[in-house]
Amino acid sequence: MVVRIRLARFGKKHAPFYNIVVAHARTARNSKPLEVLGTYNPLPQPPRPGDTFGRPWKDVRLDISRARYWIGVGAQPSDTAWRLLSMVGILEPKYRVTQVQGQVIKADSAAKSLKPAPAPATSTTLTPAE
Amino acid sequence: MPPRLRTSNLPSSAASSPSIRSQCLFHPIRTSRELSQTSCQQVTARRRKFYEWLNGPGAQLKEPLPGSTNYLGAYDKYGNLVRASPAWQRKSRAELQREKEMKQAEPVVKAEPVKAETEKTEGASEGQEEVDELEMQTRRDEEAKRKETKDDDQQLPPETAEDLRPFPQNRFFRSQPVLSEDLREAIYQRVKRDGATVSLASVEFGVSNERVGAVVRLKQMEKEWIAQGKILAVPYARAVLEMIPVTPFIDTSLPENKGKRPVPHEPINDLIVHPATRQQLFVPVAESRQFTREDAGKAFDNHLLPADDRIPHPELVKAERELAAGLPFEERRRLVEGRLKAEQAKKSKEEARKAAAIASLKTVPQRRWDFVFQDVSVEAVGKKGRDPRGVGWRYGFPHEDRKKGHVKIPTRVDA
Repeated sequence: MVVRIRLARFGKKHAPFYNIVVAHARTARNSKPLEVLGTYNPLPQPPRPGDTFGRPWKDVRLDISRARYWIGVGAQPSDTAWRLLSMVGILEPKYRVTQVQGQVIKADSAAKSLKPAPAPATSTTLTPAE
Repeated sequence: MPPRLRTSNLPSSAASSPSIRSQCLFHPIRTSRELSQTSCQQVTARRRKFYEWLNGPGAQLKEPLPGSTNYLGAYDKYGNLVRASPAWQRKSRAELQREKEMKQAEPVVKAEPVKAETEKTEGASEGQEEVDELEMQTRRDEEAKRKETKDDDQQLPPETAEDLRPFPQNRFFRSQPVLSEDLREAIYQRVKRDGATVSLASVEFGVSNERVGAVVRLKQMEKEWIAQGKILAVPYARAVLEMIPVTPFIDTSLPENKGKRPVPHEPINDLIVHPATRQQLFVPVAESRQFTREDAGKAFDNHLLPADDRIPHPELVKAERELAAGLPFEERRRLVEGRLKAEQAKKSKEEARKAAAIASLKTVPQRRWDFVFQDVSVEAVGKKGRDPRGVGWRYGFPHEDRKKGHVKIPTRVDA
């Protein structure tokens, strides 16, 4: 069975909080995992007191060496887990938001410029963007 | 649409008649009634009395006296200021304005003689100006002298406790002073710039520990807001502070305040009544046994500290004890300084620990916010996986936040 690194939602209504867990892929989201690697609080926290020009921040707690071990033995991270693990250098970044957005915008503008053209034209414009 | 009438106050036949409505529409607008915007006013006795008061005795309160509180209790029912001498007259706004300008001009006058001497050498054209300035100055001095002689009956005495009653019907409510702007700034600078501990600042300024903490936090926020370019309601704050009693700041470092002491704002070493000590206890104790305050604390609650440790400033008690023990001044000074140093060291150690904890975090800046990674250990959950120190939301533990006795109000604020 596939072992995955994924998030398990805890917290309350409108106050999400995630455990970063290692679990078998077919088990329920909040069932007891093989291991809890850490937590992820997706609610942005205000800058710390005394930090005048600080940015809001999101709190992630992670056992980095343990996460590296699980990746080494073939655990498959979910998309969100991949994003978090790639931030600390465990994995190669997969989804670059700005790149993806740029592609979307390019495709969008290309589609708009060719609006009066017949339907097959849109498929041809998408290929350079990809 | 004509203004609505309240039908309950009119006879039912008259309510619908158009003549009444037209009367209301052409009701003459009185200039003295500025508060209400409705064109149709029901003149009741209460309303009439209210306007009588507002345009009579109440008019005194509209413009607050400079350097004084603005409370109802300070005036009698005819609108006279009770504490003023009979010859006292309220100054008009124009007079006040003039005085203010005079006050602003004064520092310039003081600086003038030095400047005049330097200018003497420069030329005759400026000599004329200089003479004018000297003339102005003598005139001002004379005026000031005249004012001083006149001021004896023009000067307002300070407020008594009777004058600090905002609600005349409630004789027991006395308005309490708040910290002045200068004092708050001084407290903030003492703690932040000089690095004094909160308890030291509390003793020095006569302000309670909690209030010092609040002042430092709020001042810090204010400065952050100014740095971020947020607009503060400064005129509002100034206007409010002018109308309520304030504790002034006396800067003892200045030469003119040489022998003065800071005005204490409140008693700082009051023992807070612990809820566990509210019950009455009869504890039988053998005569042979020593029963100290520590034992008394334990009699109420096993975890209750003795009163000596719970008071806000135990160091003041220690200092008094040393004085009572008859130690020489130098010795007492050495002891106090040692204690202060230990406290400072503790504070700096704590700050260093916090800074190190923040420095150990790994921050990854992203588009909208930073992701802050803290390295933890999965081993912390223990062998059974149930240790509360372990990372993450626990499995198999019910949420207890709806249970009785769980405090959800935050009990501390990070500052």
